[in-house]
Amino acid sequence: MYELAKKALKLAEKAGAEEAEIYYATNHSTGVNFRKDSLENAKDRFSEGVGIRAIVNGAVGFASTNSAAQIENAVEVAVAEARVRESDPDWVSLPSNGKYPSVSGIFDKKVETLELEACIEYALALIEGTKEIPGTLPTSGGFTRAKGKQLILNTNGIEIEEESTAVSGFVDVITVNGQTSTAYDFGISRSLDIDFFALGKNAADLALKSNDGIKIEPQKTNVIFHPFAFSDIIEEAFAPSLDADNVQKGRSGLINKVGEELAVPELSIYDDGLIEAGIETSASDDEGVPSQRTPVIEKGVLETYLYDSYTAGKAGLKSTGNSSRPSYTSPPSVGLRNVIVDYPQTDVIADTQSGIFVNTVIGAHTANSISGDFSVEARNAFTIKDGALDKPIKSLMISGNAFDLLKQITGAGFDVRKVGGIITPSIRVSNMSVIG
Amino acid sequence: MTIMQDIKFYDCRVIEGSSTSIILDNGKIEEISRNFTRGAGVRALCGGSWGYTSVEGDIDLKQGVEAASKLAFSMNASTPKEDVELAAINSPEVKNLPEVRIDPRDVSIEEKVDLLKSIENNAKVKGINSTKVMYLESEFKVEYRSSDGIECAYELMNVGFAVSAVASENGVYQAGRESRFGYGYELFEKENVLELAGKAGNTAVELLSAKTPKGGEMPVILDQELAGVFAHEAVGHASEADLVLEGDSILENRIGEQIASPLITIIDDPTLHEFGYYPFDAEGAKSKRTEIIKNGVFNSYLHSRETAAKLGGTPGNCRAQGYSMPVVRMSNTFIDNGDARFEEMLEEIKDGMYLIGSRGGQVNTGEGIFQFNAEKGYLIRNGELTELLRDVSLSGKTLEILNHVALVGNDLKMTAGRCGKAGQLVSVSDGSPHLAISKALVGGA
Repeated sequence: MYELAKKALKLAEKAGAEEAEIYYATNHSTGVNFRKDSLENAKDRFSEGVGIRAIVNGAVGFASTNSAAQIENAVEVAVAEARVRESDPDWVSLPSNGKYPSVSGIFDKKVETLELEACIEYALALIEGTKEIPGTLPTSGGFTRAKGKQLILNTNGIEIEEESTAVSGFVDVITVNGQTSTAYDFGISRSLDIDFFALGKNAADLALKSNDGIKIEPQKTNVIFHPFAFSDIIEEAFAPSLDADNVQKGRSGLINKVGEELAVPELSIYDDGLIEAGIETSASDDEGVPSQRTPVIEKGVLETYLYDSYTAGKAGLKSTGNSSRPSYTSPPSVGLRNVIVDYPQTDVIADTQSGIFVNTVIGAHTANSISGDFSVEARNAFTIKDGALDKPIKSLMISGNAFDLLKQITGAGFDVRKVGGIITPSIRVSNMSVIG
Repeated sequence: MTIMQDIKFYDCRVIEGSSTSIILDNGKIEEISRNFTRGAGVRALCGGSWGYTSVEGDIDLKQGVEAASKLAFSMNASTPKEDVELAAINSPEVKNLPEVRIDPRDVSIEEKVDLLKSIENNAKVKGINSTKVMYLESEFKVEYRSSDGIECAYELMNVGFAVSAVASENGVYQAGRESRFGYGYELFEKENVLELAGKAGNTAVELLSAKTPKGGEMPVILDQELAGVFAHEAVGHASEADLVLEGDSILENRIGEQIASPLITIIDDPTLHEFGYYPFDAEGAKSKRTEIIKNGVFNSYLHSRETAAKLGGTPGNCRAQGYSMPVVRMSNTFIDNGDARFEEMLEEIKDGMYLIGSRGGQVNTGEGIFQFNAEKGYLIRNGELTELLRDVSLSGKTLEILNHVALVGNDLKMTAGRCGKAGQLVSVSDGSPHLAISKALVGGA
């Protein structure tokens, strides 16, 4: 397949493509999963395929396949599709700069060679952790390790190959006596530096502490969002408006806002494809543009949108290295890299007289990604009294607007977490509307 | 060979297919893409442990079975547990597949693009400044074989479209969306797609001047789509036997109990030619209709072969996306018709809210709580629909809502969609008639 990918580039040119790109990706993952406190299954997945972009007269065609026997056909289909389309005046060209920064920490030989027995041990550690807290039971969870490789080739001379690894653990816990409460915890990393036992224990502890929740009155108050909750809201209600494609098509709440004060001056947000061991770190983005660190919000001011080479070409700018593909079956589009939320850190709960601490939210994906309006159900929420968590809250809805929220941030904790690619501490927001 | 003696069961699913997507964005073709795939998923069972292997591309099934068997064997050796039993099934008879009159592969790309352009034009009503239309088509063939002698296959074809329109004014953005999915290209004749597109455009424009409600507890009417989402998310998931066995369902040990208003009957039926149709599931079990709730009494979980053996029940709801490991899933899930008319509901509710459509939602099946965002709503005052509302959501406890149902309409309507349990997307549909609910928590700004 790998060799065929290289050959496919020549085939595309032969079929009449003026420019062509081959994206090859392969992944092998092994997962061990449990239900309640017993291991249920082990899964091995192998995937491998190519996606082909062919450009004819400024029009792009795309086809993909995972079958070696279909590559030639897919190349021809991509070229034929490009011919069907009208020339796109905004098309400039496929990327051509092939000078890549070096990145570190994204490949760990130990993860690559991890045996099934070791995977079983890590999954058991998640379960054992929950047993530290009597009165709780895990419901489901698992450990996964993965190794991937991608190769990007294009007719403008791009040739970049990268390998990476990842491990992750997830555990869902429920209380078994009295009132039912649930909680989860997860971790993802490039190497085996996650304490899986602690994840299990933490989830169980949180579920138990959430029991016997109280009802609270509707009010406007300080809300501290745990990194899980905050990253969810940022990703669903704010980030889509940074996507240059959405901006260019009139689907962003940030149109004409570059240079404006968008957030409190203490807040900066970076999109960074280069940080050590980041989940979205790699030397190049998914179309071969070198990765970079992009200040998105600097001291409260919106500095830029995020671009891939197409949207950058359309705007007469340089790509920010944000081309992304969920799989070889999709043509590239604008996506986030590692997103770093930076705000002066304090012991934020201790600094809060009264308010609410929210661990996770459900329903963030239902946010209006253009207006930034969201309405979510808070989970594992607690009242804050005199600088400490006080009582669990039974049921709580939080409504707000992501853009307003950025102007109301008043604090951040020391508890920075990597929630996938989003790296953030707990964030305190004043004057949030909550309904108990 | 020694390992294979301990493997009690194995099965293989081979899937081969192709798909086409076309995206038209603000009048321009944004993407035409075609995808050809082939792959297989293999399961093996050793004692109480499953091994699963998925392979893409050119497959050696024998190797797949060996790899899955080795995983199952190692798991069972390191953490032995109670044997998994599988409920017995017979080879399914594949018949009554949805009829396809116009094969979408016989329609040229140019014709499809022209259709999308006219859909987009219709969505571009006055006040709309951005539109997007998506066309999707897929054809696939599933072949299933198991070590206990089940062998079956079917081919299915899906086609559909989604249109969205965005209106903006003074920094406020609102979107309207419509979509339809079905089994042949004739879908575009059967459904008035141009009218639907216009509806998406009008919704977006109307929402610009809609009000945001004050939240709180009040009586509500749910439209068919939102009530269908409730049936799927809040009730359907909690009735999935794998979640029940995990201890993650409020419906555990509730069979035979009155858990809902006697007006409520909820059904899952994969034999209907709606978007969740299948002739047999990912374990080769024949599809069949299940009454989850019958006249308010909780009647049945949804099962795989494993959960059916454990809890007693009939398999037929085990599904997978592509080559992923199958899990218990819904198909076409709906609240059955009652006899109330919409006007009666307005009279019954008097002062409250009418919630329409869905922008998605989530549910915690263990605690039985849910949250859904409606697309829009209307205030009901004195039994009449008044101001249009936006950014409205519904949340609460599943069982409380089921018991607070005051009237069930006679206008059942199904909506096609995709459900994403366990990280796997499968085609489903859900639906309901209008529901009047005496008390619910509505969220606003």
